[in-house]
Parts: sequence; C-alpha cells; structure tokens
Amino acid sequence: MQRKLISGIIGILIALLIGALIMLVQGYNPIQTYAALFNFSLFGFYPLATTLRNSVPLILTGLSASVAFASGPVNLGQPGQLLIGALFATVGGLYLDLPAFLLIPVLILLSMLGGALWSGVAAMLRKWFNMDEFITTLMLNMIADFFTYWAISYPFFDRSAYSPMTPQINTNGWLPIWGEFNSNVIVMVLAFFVIYLVFNRLTAGYEWRITGHNSLFARLGGIKIDKNYVTVMLVTGALAGLAGGLVVMAGPHRFLKGLGANYAWDGVMIAVVANNGLIGTLLYGLFFSALQTGSLGMELITAVPREFIQVLQAVTVLVIVAGRGYLDILIDKTIARQKARERAT
Amino acid sequence: MNIITGLINGMISGATPILLAALGGTFTFYAGVFNIAMEGMMLTGAFFAVLGSYYFDSWLMGIVCAIIGSLMMALIFILFAVTLKTDEFVTGIALNLFALGATTYMMRQIFNVKGAFSNPGIVPIPRIHIPLLAKIPILGNILSGQNLIIYITVLVVILSAFIIFKTRFGLRLRAAGYNAPSLDSSGVSSAKIRIWSLIICGVLCGLAGAFLSLGYVTLFSENMSAGRGWISLAAVILVNGNPWGIALISLLFGFTDGLGLLLQQYMPSQFTSMVPYVATLIALYFYSIQARKRKA
Repeated sequence: MQRKLISGIIGILIALLIGALIMLVQGYNPIQTYAALFNFSLFGFYPLATTLRNSVPLILTGLSASVAFASGPVNLGQPGQLLIGALFATVGGLYLDLPAFLLIPVLILLSMLGGALWSGVAAMLRKWFNMDEFITTLMLNMIADFFTYWAISYPFFDRSAYSPMTPQINTNGWLPIWGEFNSNVIVMVLAFFVIYLVFNRLTAGYEWRITGHNSLFARLGGIKIDKNYVTVMLVTGALAGLAGGLVVMAGPHRFLKGLGANYAWDGVMIAVVANNGLIGTLLYGLFFSALQTGSLGMELITAVPREFIQVLQAVTVLVIVAGRGYLDILIDKTIARQKARERAT
Repeated sequence: MNIITGLINGMISGATPILLAALGGTFTFYAGVFNIAMEGMMLTGAFFAVLGSYYFDSWLMGIVCAIIGSLMMALIFILFAVTLKTDEFVTGIALNLFALGATTYMMRQIFNVKGAFSNPGIVPIPRIHIPLLAKIPILGNILSGQNLIIYITVLVVILSAFIIFKTRFGLRLRAAGYNAPSLDSSGVSSAKIRIWSLIICGVLCGLAGAFLSLGYVTLFSENMSAGRGWISLAAVILVNGNPWGIALISLLFGFTDGLGLLLQQYMPSQFTSMVPYVATLIALYFYSIQARKRKA
C-alpha cells in the first residue's frame, strides 16, 4: 500500500513537471496554469461539487475495467457498454411514466441491463465460439457507436432539434440536485461499496481474483472458470452501462451525439494506473476528474487549450506505470543485493 | 462495368491503410511484442503528414513527416516497453490515448481549428499513371492511376514476406518471438531485434497514416484512424502474421468498406458504417472455428 502511494505521488509530480516543461516550451506560464487548473476543480464548494459529479462516469467505467482485468477477462468494451446503457435509460425515461421514487431505480436498472446485454454479447461469443473478447469488445464498441447514433437520428429523434438527439426524458427520472451537489455521486458510492464488498469479502469475488491471478490453479481448485467468466463480463458491463445511465440522468437528461465523450477510455486508463485496485481506481478517478473539471477554468484564465489535459493524462499514466515497474525492480535488486551480502559474510 | 471497377478501386484504397499497419504489426508479432499501438501510430502519422504537406508545400515532406511522427510514437513504445519493461498492453493503451490527445491538442494549437483541418494548401499524394498498363481494356483503370502509396504497399508486402522468411534478420525476428532466451544465448540480443521490429512498425504505420490523410482524403480530422489499427491487429492475429494472408484479409476488409458505401442507397449510413467491424467479427468467428478443428 505504502509503495503504491509513494509511486503514485511521485508519478503524478513527475507528470506535472513534464507537463510544465511542455508548457514552457510553448511559452505558457506553468505555475499560473496549474493554479487556475486546481482553483477551478478543488478549491471551493462549487468546484469540488463539480469535480465529484464529473468523476462518476470515470470511476464507474474505471471500476468496470479494474474488476474485469483483475479477474481475467480483457473487457475493453466499456465505451460501447456505456452507450448502450445510456440508450436504455433514455428510452425508458421517454416512455415510462412512474413516480420519481420508482422511475429512478427502474432507469438505473435499465442502464445496467443495457450494459450487461452488450458485454453479454462478447461473453457469449467467447463461450460458444471461443472468440477473443479483447477484439470482439473493441469491434462491438464501434458497432454500438454507430447503432446509438442511428437510434438518436431516426427512431428517438427529437423533431424540434437541429442535430441528432432525443427529447428530454421524463422529469421524474432526473436525479435530484441539492444546491450544487448532484445525487449521481450517491449512486456511484453505493455501487463502489457493493463492488468492493463482493470483490474483497465474498466467495464470488475471491474466485474472480484467484482466476485473474492464476486460472490454472483456480480450475484445479474446483472453480468454475467459464461460469465466472460470464458473470464477470456481465457485472463489468452493467457497471459501464450504469455510468452511461447516470450521465443521461444527471446531466443533459437526454441522449445527444457524443454523449459518451472519452469517459470510458479514461476509465480504462484509470484502471491501468491503479493497477486494477479498487481504491486506487477511486482515487485516480477523482484526480483525473479534477484535471478535466479544472481544464475549463484553465482555458478561461490562461491561453492553454483544454485538450492539453488529455496529453497530461496519458503522460501521467505512462510515468506512473513505468515508474512502478522500475521501482519494483529497484527494490527487488536492493533486496537481492542485501541477501548476497549476508551470504558472503 | 464502372460499378465493378469502382468497387475494386474502393476495395484497394480501403485496404491500404489496414494492410500497411498490419504489415507493421506482423513484424512485432513475429518478434513477440504484444503491440496494440498501431492505432496511435497511424493517427500520429496522419497528423504529421498533413502538417508536413501543408508547411513544406510538398507531399514528399508530408510522407517524411508522417514517418518521423509515427517513429516518435514507436520510440516512446520502445522506451517504455523494451527499456523500462513496462507492460506492453498498458503501454499500448496509454500510447493510443496519448496520440488521440496530442493530435487533437496540436491541431488546435497549430491550425487553430477543432474537429477537422482541411485546407487547399495541403498537397495530396499524387496518383501514378503508368503509360502502357493504362491501355489494357478493363484492368487498365485498376492497375494504373492508383495512389503512389498503393504501389509502395504492394512492394512492402513482397519485401516483408521476403525479409521475414528468407533473410537472416527474419530468422532472428522469428526466433525472438519463438524462443527469446535461446536467441539471447546464441549471442543475438532479442531486445535489439524487438527494437528493430518496432521501428519497422513505426515506419509502416506512418505510411498508413500518410495514406489516410493525404491519399484517402486530403484533411485531418480528430480520431480519423477510427479503429483501423484495431482491425489491422485482428488481421494479424487471424492469419498468424503471414504477410500474404494479411494482404488477402485486408482486401476483404477493404471490400466491406466499399460495399458499405454501395449499400448506403438502401439503408441508413450508420448501418453501412458498421459493415467492416461486423466483417471483422465474422472473420474471427471462422478463425476460431478453424482453430478448434485444428486442435481436435
């Protein structure tokens, strides 16, 4: 844990330094830029609330990727699962007329169902035809992208709009907002606790983790690998779908083009930096969200364009991941050297 | 007749970027590098091609810049995956996202536009007219008048097959993937072979990117590689890296690309755009069925 924390903080600092260097080369003032960046994302109630709100899709897709990678399946289909989940929630919100206390849970479940359905396709292709989910989920992402684009352009198109989007969903399906605090954070925290519990405390989670570590050992120990594989795919798909549903219910309350943005890929990156740890995913998700939230203010105050954050994120990931491996080698080497010295004496 | 030549020409130009990237991928495949960064390399190549072509007023400089840009990505991959021994999968994912962010950022910084940059100042790569071949009745329109990169691609296919299977470097390349320790113990550094395979991959992905932004169309748009790098990865896996097989598979994907355009008269364009990706899934299906038969 301590080693992780140290390598994470060092990595972030080095990445910020590299970012500062890039800014210096282009003639920007890095101190002013970082000040603006974090002023608009961390300091104050409104910035903090916005950062929390924006972190929800990042953390949920990150959790989806973390759980999948740690349990074995290389589910890279979060972008598609998120879109299908968002579409399910939107369609439910357009046609169902229920009171708020019923409609909100129903829409949440619908979005999870949508995501699980889409990851289920990949899981079935693997189970029946032994097709590698690594490539099928990627292809399904593109297919989901075009499918949802079609859905919002024709069957669910808002006739009063000029660009592809659906009408707004039933107001009963909007997630409540208290002041600046959006309740999508509560749903995310709940989902995090459930997943954390299942993954770390229940037998099912133990089986997933063991399978991810060493599937041969798991199989010899009597774990049903195939069944667990499908479960993990469905659960991680549902998580990504939930992210999409919450984006619709918390934000624009409709499905518009480009809704998925880069959330899911950022989520995958977050899982990768967190080394598939759940708490790490939560923390890095908040950090990435702070960067993205602050980028708007940064663009406003300084001349640095918002897209710079995307570069900074990728640099952070590379530095932390490489640093972690390097740090491990360094520590192992010193341990080995110590042992050698002990033997020599 | 025109429809058929149009379809064939569409197939060829749709196949070219996938084929080039997949050939790059096959070098790393044989060297035992799990390289999924083709998408990012191609995208970077496409951006630098437009940059070079626009500022130097020359398509040749466009190609050179594309290769340099893509090589930079390859060097980052080498630095992390080979030198620092970072996980290859992680490096590839981060690199793809880095390429997406960096090209979008640079497009905004350098050209001051969002979304797409097109300008009459971008010089496209010319089509080559071969005097004698053009006179052949039906094949003339296919054999002659194609983009320069397409002719280069044909050469690259032949060269790749030759290098991988007939030269000493190719033997070492395959050994690096097949059994790296025994290659190392025979006095050849497998890390060095991997580095070379990644450099070759960088060059070929740069060419693929240059074809995308200076041949296929004459503009750069955000994320314009649109999953072609992933399809090329699928192509490499499907035929176990054989360059001739890759050429065939890429043509098949190119055909679905052209077919999608043709089908646009009958159904919404969103569905026709799905065709190449669905085709990849179908191809994977047949591959896995065959693999199962081989095992049994």
